[in-house]
Amino acid sequence: MNRLKAILSKVLEIDENKITDETSPNNVPTWDSFNALLLVSELEKAFNVKFTMEEVTAVKCVRDIKEALRRHNVKLEE
Amino acid sequence: MQKIKSLISVARPVKAADYLALFRKIDSEMRQDRISGGKKVKIALLSSSTISGLREILFTKCCESGILPEIRAGSYGQYAQDILSPNSWLYQFNPDIVILWTDTLSLLGDSYFNPYEMTGVQRRKFAEEKADGLKSLVKALRERSGATIILHNLEVPMHSPMGILEEKQDFGFHESIRHINSRLSETFREDARVFVFNYDEFCSNIGKQQVVDHKMYYLGDIRIDIQLMPALCDKYIAYVKPLLSLSKKCLVLDLDNTLWGGILGEDGFEGIHLGPTPEGRPFLEFQKSILALFRRGVILAINSKNNAEEVLRVMREHPSMVLKERNFAAMKINWNDKITNMHALAKELNIGLDSLVFFDDDPANRQIVKAALPEVLVVDVPSDPALYMQTLNRISDFDTLAITTDDLKKGQMYAEQRQRQELQEKTEDISKYLEQLETKVSIEQANAFTMPRISQLTQKTNQFNMTTKRYLEEDIRMLSESQKSWVISAKVEDKFGDNGITGALIIRKDSVVWEIDTFLISCRVLGRGVEETLLAHLIEQAQKAGVQKLVGKFIPTNKNAPAKEFFKKNGFMLLKNENGAEYWEYPLAKQYPFPSFIKVEVKGAK
Repeated sequence: MNRLKAILSKVLEIDENKITDETSPNNVPTWDSFNALLLVSELEKAFNVKFTMEEVTAVKCVRDIKEALRRHNVKLEE
Repeated sequence: MQKIKSLISVARPVKAADYLALFRKIDSEMRQDRISGGKKVKIALLSSSTISGLREILFTKCCESGILPEIRAGSYGQYAQDILSPNSWLYQFNPDIVILWTDTLSLLGDSYFNPYEMTGVQRRKFAEEKADGLKSLVKALRERSGATIILHNLEVPMHSPMGILEEKQDFGFHESIRHINSRLSETFREDARVFVFNYDEFCSNIGKQQVVDHKMYYLGDIRIDIQLMPALCDKYIAYVKPLLSLSKKCLVLDLDNTLWGGILGEDGFEGIHLGPTPEGRPFLEFQKSILALFRRGVILAINSKNNAEEVLRVMREHPSMVLKERNFAAMKINWNDKITNMHALAKELNIGLDSLVFFDDDPANRQIVKAALPEVLVVDVPSDPALYMQTLNRISDFDTLAITTDDLKKGQMYAEQRQRQELQEKTEDISKYLEQLETKVSIEQANAFTMPRISQLTQKTNQFNMTTKRYLEEDIRMLSESQKSWVISAKVEDKFGDNGITGALIIRKDSVVWEIDTFLISCRVLGRGVEETLLAHLIEQAQKAGVQKLVGKFIPTNKNAPAKEFFKKNGFMLLKNENGAEYWEYPLAKQYPFPSFIKVEVKGAK
């Protein structure tokens, strides 16, 4: 979770400590369409995975990102 | 700019998100007016598809190079309107640089997917039309704006419905794109303000399969992987730096484990690795690449802890030593520390520390130089010598926007200068030295061959330059064609070689008054009677023309102190001080002799 939080914080300009599973475009104004794609790009690079288009469009909040990463066998140390 | 530097050194950006995060930090500092300094430049980005993020990344990349840019991006797909409408934001913004990126898909439309709906003849016509369209767009932009234009060429696609038969087609799909690219290159080859950026080559270098992330393309119409944007911006910056006179001039090299493998002092003449062996070839080919830079005008120098005699023996006798004494403009081979030597090199070559690039295999030395002399560009040399050549070839800091014939000889000229210096040190009396140099000055009316160099001299000469007025090639052409002005250049040769065109004079005149608009001498020939020779020629011409007044102006800058006393020392009288400028007049009744030790040749007087 720490690496994920670091990336979220860098891309979305938010405090790592305020990131929860519920964090989403609805409560983070900087989570716009460009930053959403940048987030995908950074996650793919950092965790060495490739998401499908469907996986990307299905993400509604941080919990969904974690699930997608787990599906790609990424272990997120809590 | 100090503030920005510290932000960058803390952040150490690598990925796209790092650059974007850093951009926001710098931007917020700027909004609070906490940033000053840095070279200013205005850049406009025009594109046929979405380039979100590129503006911010380019901004941060500029900051890394000490540039504080103002960058604006047009709406995507609006580039033609932006260029063709005279009232568009583009012309109000008045950029110094315009980057125009039209991508293959946008330009071709449906025929990108189905190119063989057309016959070969139709495809040729189609390609010509597309090339003409781009050409006339760039020409319109060129006419309406003074900006330097960087034009992307087209990425040649990888796909073809013809598969292995693609190259068998009459004016095939791929050939038609390559054709457009050649057309663009040909059209602007001689144009000093339009540069075709080989985007196709950039994509090939990356690997075309990696350039587009198709998921991102469908989701956000993004046609280049965001992670590649920093590398793309590096390519852009290679054009920005020379425009702002941030190009480097001199490559300073270490010796042991840099130009050859091993340590000369320990392994001996026979023991060093240099030559056609697996251990020796990386060094041999690295030296060949350095020689190629020398041939395009890069000055070479050595900064090494070594025994000078042993090194000279390698240069003179080693069968695989490519670089010889005559290639080096200065050699500091001694037991002094690298910093002292670096200062001495800059002084001897009469160039700033900010013109130096340092290549040394030893990370400790690099760290020392980096810390003590932040102006010097220290190359991050990989630990494996097999990667030296590739590292050297990636340096874009020696790039210039034009290469004059004088530039090509610059490395050699500086090496000859070292021989002059040695003569001067041997000769006690300066006038004897000047005599022994056997200097010849050729004074010539500006012409098509000399105009590019004269313009370049006005751009680059800072020290002996009375007014520091900068002129483009077109300005020089207008001045030299006008009846009201007169442009001449001075070419300087001596027994060690040709210094090329190193002096220029621009006179604004009417029948009564001649005013010296520009009087400059390149510092590499300064103090050798060239400036007096040019002045003598000018005074002689003014007297012949029956002019009543010869007036000179001195506008002081931070750098032109060497020119300050010139008028005073040469019989001019101070007329007045006005707005920081000094006005001087030469009493034309008085003769002014040519220096006796210089041979003068005058071609085509006006």
